[in-house]
Amino acid sequence: MHGHLPYVRHPEHEDFLEEDWLYEGITETYIPLISMYEKLVEDGVDFRLTMTLSPTLISMLSDPLLQERYLKHINRLIELAHKEIERTTWQPPFQHLAITYLNQFCKARETFERYGRNLVTAFKKFQDMGKLEIITCGATHGYFPLMDVCRESVRAQVKVAANHYEKVFGRRPIGIWLPECGYHPGHDEILKEAGIRYFFTDSHGVLHGNPRPKYGVFAPVYCKGTGVACFARDLESSKQVWSSIEGYPGDYNYREFYRDVGFDLEFEYIKPYIHPDGIRINTGIKYYRITGTSNIKEPYVPQWARERAADHAGNFMFNRQKQVEYLYDFMQKKPILVSPYDAELFGHWWYEGPQWLDFLIRKIAFDQDQIRLITPSEYLAENPRNQVITPSQSSWGWKGYSEMWLQGSNDWVYRHLHAASGRMTELTKQFQHTSDNLVRRALNQALRELLLAQSSDWGFILGTGTHTNYAVKRTKDHLLRFTRLYEDIKSNSIDQDWLADIEYKDNVFPDIDFRVHQ
Amino acid sequence: MAILRRVKDKLKKMIKGEKKASTRTSTSRFSAKKILRSIPERLKRKEALKEPKREILGARETAVGQTKFSHPETPKRYRAMPQDLPSQYGQDKLILQVRDPWWIHSYWEVRGDTLERFKEQLKDQFYKAKRLLRVYDVSHIIFDGKNAHRFFDIEINDYATSWYIDTAGPGRSWCVDYGLLLPDGTFVTILRSNTVYTPLEGPSWITDEEWMIPEEMFARLYGMGFGLGQSSPVGKAWQERIKHVLSSGMSSPGIASMASPVKKLPKERKFWLVVDCELIVYGATEPDAKVTVQDREIKLRPDGTFTLRFALPDGKQVIPVKAVSSDQIEERTITPIVSRETKNSILVKE
Repeated sequence: MHGHLPYVRHPEHEDFLEEDWLYEGITETYIPLISMYEKLVEDGVDFRLTMTLSPTLISMLSDPLLQERYLKHINRLIELAHKEIERTTWQPPFQHLAITYLNQFCKARETFERYGRNLVTAFKKFQDMGKLEIITCGATHGYFPLMDVCRESVRAQVKVAANHYEKVFGRRPIGIWLPECGYHPGHDEILKEAGIRYFFTDSHGVLHGNPRPKYGVFAPVYCKGTGVACFARDLESSKQVWSSIEGYPGDYNYREFYRDVGFDLEFEYIKPYIHPDGIRINTGIKYYRITGTSNIKEPYVPQWARERAADHAGNFMFNRQKQVEYLYDFMQKKPILVSPYDAELFGHWWYEGPQWLDFLIRKIAFDQDQIRLITPSEYLAENPRNQVITPSQSSWGWKGYSEMWLQGSNDWVYRHLHAASGRMTELTKQFQHTSDNLVRRALNQALRELLLAQSSDWGFILGTGTHTNYAVKRTKDHLLRFTRLYEDIKSNSIDQDWLADIEYKDNVFPDIDFRVHQ
Repeated sequence: MAILRRVKDKLKKMIKGEKKASTRTSTSRFSAKKILRSIPERLKRKEALKEPKREILGARETAVGQTKFSHPETPKRYRAMPQDLPSQYGQDKLILQVRDPWWIHSYWEVRGDTLERFKEQLKDQFYKAKRLLRVYDVSHIIFDGKNAHRFFDIEINDYATSWYIDTAGPGRSWCVDYGLLLPDGTFVTILRSNTVYTPLEGPSWITDEEWMIPEEMFARLYGMGFGLGQSSPVGKAWQERIKHVLSSGMSSPGIASMASPVKKLPKERKFWLVVDCELIVYGATEPDAKVTVQDREIKLRPDGTFTLRFALPDGKQVIPVKAVSSDQIEERTITPIVSRETKNSILVKE
């Protein structure tokens, strides 16, 4: 599972719409997953999951300001749920749901407080128990294939991430989820330098590798020259969850994502729970099931959805058993099936996702003995001998390569990003050994700004063409701040007050060392 | 609702691949085609794409990824930055990046004094020259400017600073020169790019001796790798399909539904109407009285007033509001009776 959100934190504003991405993630995805892990451990169910926590997500989850704001957010939701229970008095199916939401929100608040408001400690706990394997990601989720002309930046993305991970989890990361699964041949060298032993690609990353992979995507390969292991996605299992045609989340009994009281209810009533400027937003209270293809929606029935989640888990397991049986038959070797998903798919988009996963884990543990859950590092320990190939450039984005991040709406950014990377390299060379504390601070901040500008999320949002203002703003702000720092450092005229101000605003990676950018 | 619908429409469009490429893209495609691409082959590819119901790799990930960010526009309220990004960085630079197995993107910048130098050298010829991108196939060689396997030219205008180039050549290495084609046919290089490699569109034909495996077995694994299952036809047909799915500049009308989560409105017309009713029951009594509404105790404000708000379904609601004085001696009840009936009609004029 790949857990990531871009760094969105605006201390300069009381209320900031895009910070909701994090709050929704916490309530709908991260806490339901943590609750699931807790329950599994409590029930003595053994499980293995590999999960990315991107460095920006970790940073936000551990940030006191955002923690404080989350509490405010969840308290407001709890207040709304109370009102909803009253409002729906004469509509029992809705009132029942309002009560469910109230319980879910209260549980979220309780869990949040129980882990000292820092959910990273929860994930760490399950990693230390050996149930979770937490892997790292690019520092700010920069899309590596489009940084290949300035590999210093790829190196900085990887090293900042690995150092950050070590600080948080008390060990070096052994695996990485390349942002957007974007692999470019040669970047495995940088992973190796950082001590990372494996990464993932989409199916065609390995299938179209050179020479042909003997076992397709059903065994890892080692990259030629570096020996870093590469695991490729199994599309069959992926499709069962992701597919728009036959994927589970589209089941008519599941909750409809697009009907939210934030949009449906009367304006004056809902006003305190949407954006202060009156912009309607998702609140997370959603009363309808998908129902069918028409726009007439029926009330959501949790029990029916739960039964479907159990069925789907059974179906998923059955298909994996058949798949493995078939594969083992002619591979004569234990195949591995890699099924990566966005963590935010579970709970946020697919409301029943965490339930499905819970059923699946329990069924695998108790109902059969053909397949088992395994982490990449465990698989490599058991199967150290693998083929050596050069994987092919690929991503899991739209059409499988780089087009999502390289099209008419976002291609203009690379000219500036690459120029900034080049300048950062120049600064690093020139000031490598500086002993001036102010210059060092400015250099470190310059690297923060560069990394923040590189987030693939901005390019993604520009690529989708909706709500692009914020993405443009973020890209430009960070690049402009970088440019000014570059000029100030070069001309030895650093404005200390201004530097302090942007250090306060863009405070990610407090321990960053600019010298990784080379 | 309107905002929501806009997001959804965009999403659908994007998934269908209908989203218009930038004008730059289309221009570059057009001129590339005009100059030297084998047109029939390209057309063939386009036509083959028009099969129904097909999924674009990564489409779902894109759609779900986007839900993380599905929010209305943030109002502008930032500190205005004094400058905009520079249009030039004072460098002579031509950069190539791979978009997919067929297309590469190039952008460039030429310093003013560099151009001046060429103007001085070439005099009149400079103004008569055509600006070109010369695209070299430099697979498996160390390119010295003369030893390319082949090259093709794309004529561009003087002001272009970026271009999408259709190489039509997966699994090859490319280098591009930006330069001038003089009237006498001489090509003068102004900028030379980095070298990029377009990835293979299918499996490699190189099989490692040591790991040699029968073709048929690989075909089965290959199909399974793409999620076709054991019974599905694999091999050539599948490769064709993958090729089309991944190929660029195409439209895939296949993904009709972004699954059911996307609400579909009647296809013919976009018009719609939603009406609902809520009932507000409010009143006041002594602040220390005990008040129940439909036998459920409610909380009074410090001044003894109260407000309740209910979604009002069709049918009759009897709402006894009972207040008991704090000394338990007096009890008053007022019972509003409200009924709602909803009628529905649709009239579409021809």
